[in-house]
Amino acid sequence: MSILSVSFLLFVLGLCVLYFALPKRFQWWVLLAFSLAFYALGGLLNLPWLLLTAFSTWGAARYIQSRADAEKTWLKEHKAETTKEERSAYKARGKAARRRVMVLCLLLNVAVLCAFKYIHFLLAQANALAGIFGGAVKDSIRWVVPLGISFYTFQTVGYLCDVYWGKARAEQNPMKLLLFTSFFPQITQGPISAWNDLAPELFSPHSLDYDHFSLGAQRMIWGFFKKMVVANLLAGYVQKVFVGYHSYAGLAAFLGALCYAAQIYADFSGYMDIMCGLCQILGIRLTENFDRPYFSKSIAEYWRRWHMSLGTWFKNYVYYPIAMAKWNQKLGKSARKRLGKAFGNYLPATVALVATWLATGLWHGASWSYIAWGGINGLFIIFSMWMEGPYAKWKQTLRINENSWLWRAFQVGRTFLLVTFIKVLPEVGTLGQGLGLWKRIFTALSLPRSLGELLPFVDNYRNLCAVLFGICLMLAVSLLQRRGSVREQLRRRLPYGVRMAIFVLLFFLIIYFGVPASGGLGGFLYAEF
Amino acid sequence: MDELLEILNDINPDVDYEKEDKLIDGKVYDSFSIITLISNISDTFDIELGPEHLIPENFNSAAAMWKMIQSILNEE
Repeated sequence: MSILSVSFLLFVLGLCVLYFALPKRFQWWVLLAFSLAFYALGGLLNLPWLLLTAFSTWGAARYIQSRADAEKTWLKEHKAETTKEERSAYKARGKAARRRVMVLCLLLNVAVLCAFKYIHFLLAQANALAGIFGGAVKDSIRWVVPLGISFYTFQTVGYLCDVYWGKARAEQNPMKLLLFTSFFPQITQGPISAWNDLAPELFSPHSLDYDHFSLGAQRMIWGFFKKMVVANLLAGYVQKVFVGYHSYAGLAAFLGALCYAAQIYADFSGYMDIMCGLCQILGIRLTENFDRPYFSKSIAEYWRRWHMSLGTWFKNYVYYPIAMAKWNQKLGKSARKRLGKAFGNYLPATVALVATWLATGLWHGASWSYIAWGGINGLFIIFSMWMEGPYAKWKQTLRINENSWLWRAFQVGRTFLLVTFIKVLPEVGTLGQGLGLWKRIFTALSLPRSLGELLPFVDNYRNLCAVLFGICLMLAVSLLQRRGSVREQLRRRLPYGVRMAIFVLLFFLIIYFGVPASGGLGGFLYAEF
Repeated sequence: MDELLEILNDINPDVDYEKEDKLIDGKVYDSFSIITLISNISDTFDIELGPEHLIPENFNSAAAMWKMIQSILNEE
């Protein structure tokens, strides 16, 4: 079901009516029923894969929890009659058994994810390899990737690891874990929530509240505006640039890249606004995914503010486990002795960052251009980490005042440009085409002689005005967000009539510009990841 | 405790470790510093730290870290 459709709005209306009309103990059942219905409407054949992940994770987590509880009881009861060594051996056996179950469950679910997501990429590599020896590997697989598989698999992996590490308690009711896995506002594009954050929100009773309803509805309208007016109008420009950049001047190609940066932000954060707004109406606080990312002063900071739940997931379940692994710590210890303290201190984090960023690239897409995209992001972050000391010295020598607005503006501008260039690389098509766009920007240096040459991808200046208005509004909102929620600020400062007029204007802009632009471009970019 | 304070001062000398109790929640330590800290704690006290120990309550202050180290040493 398209989020940008009247049927989705009716679906939400039906959900709200039942959610608040039925006794509160049934609220999470209503969410589950609507989540499964939403998923089934996207393809009934995909449902078994979702159920497999949810129930296998539930079973594994229950085993791990009951085994850990039993171990604790045994150790308490037998403390007096056992030696320290016996207790350690018992604990080690228990941990090994729990780890086996966790690994088996992770392997099963990650294997399903990889089979659907990477099979064509792997077969293409096998075909290329076979081609060297004169052979060929035929790819006749026509599987449809289950909706949201990347998001729900990661969410359940996080839950299982948290139960294994004792950071979360395993849920007894399998249907509650099914809701956690399938909760429809986040299944197609995240956020990837932790059990400890989402479960209390899903399973607590919620009452209909005017403030929640009003603020939630406002955020939904803002999200629809960002997606339907800004992102979808920009999508038309970006498509033209990515297909025809060879014939554009460098400046026009560069403006096309900037359009893509604005489009993907409006698209992804617009979706988040719609879903966070919907959840706010229901009284549920959904994990936020954005914190004004284009105001970041470094790539590392950008990734702490863009798609925050994915960054947190990779940090908790890939980066830390690899950085803290015995073999990696040994590597660091040995490097500290032989190559110096600084080198040894940075090495485990560097190894973990390389793995994390290559995995992040692969998560975004099964292609060499996404692997390169992840690698470049990782390289910048690793390079900044290693150069922290020399940077500090250079800044001291050059007497740079890090708190001055000029320096901060330079850092923000530099990071935005770097991020934009990295972003477009995998989106143009193949890695070669992405590099081709970069080359075009830096080599086709002729100056455009008319507005048509500067913006060859624009065919309707009225739509361009709507896009520019939308981008300025997004910028203003981002600036206001430094002082907290913009909707709260509007409520404090503006009378009801003015606030209502703002949202009515947004609504008409959606109808006038957004609806025609969303005809063939209704999909969300992140749903493809 | 002195050994722990030495490690902490080596990583970030600009913090008053007697008073600071939001090293993680206040983002004084980032993910790189945490790994450096863990490597040095494991090395100095000869203990094994895993992701299960990575909760803000264990790393928000020098006192909390010391408590965690003592608890692991007693377990072993």
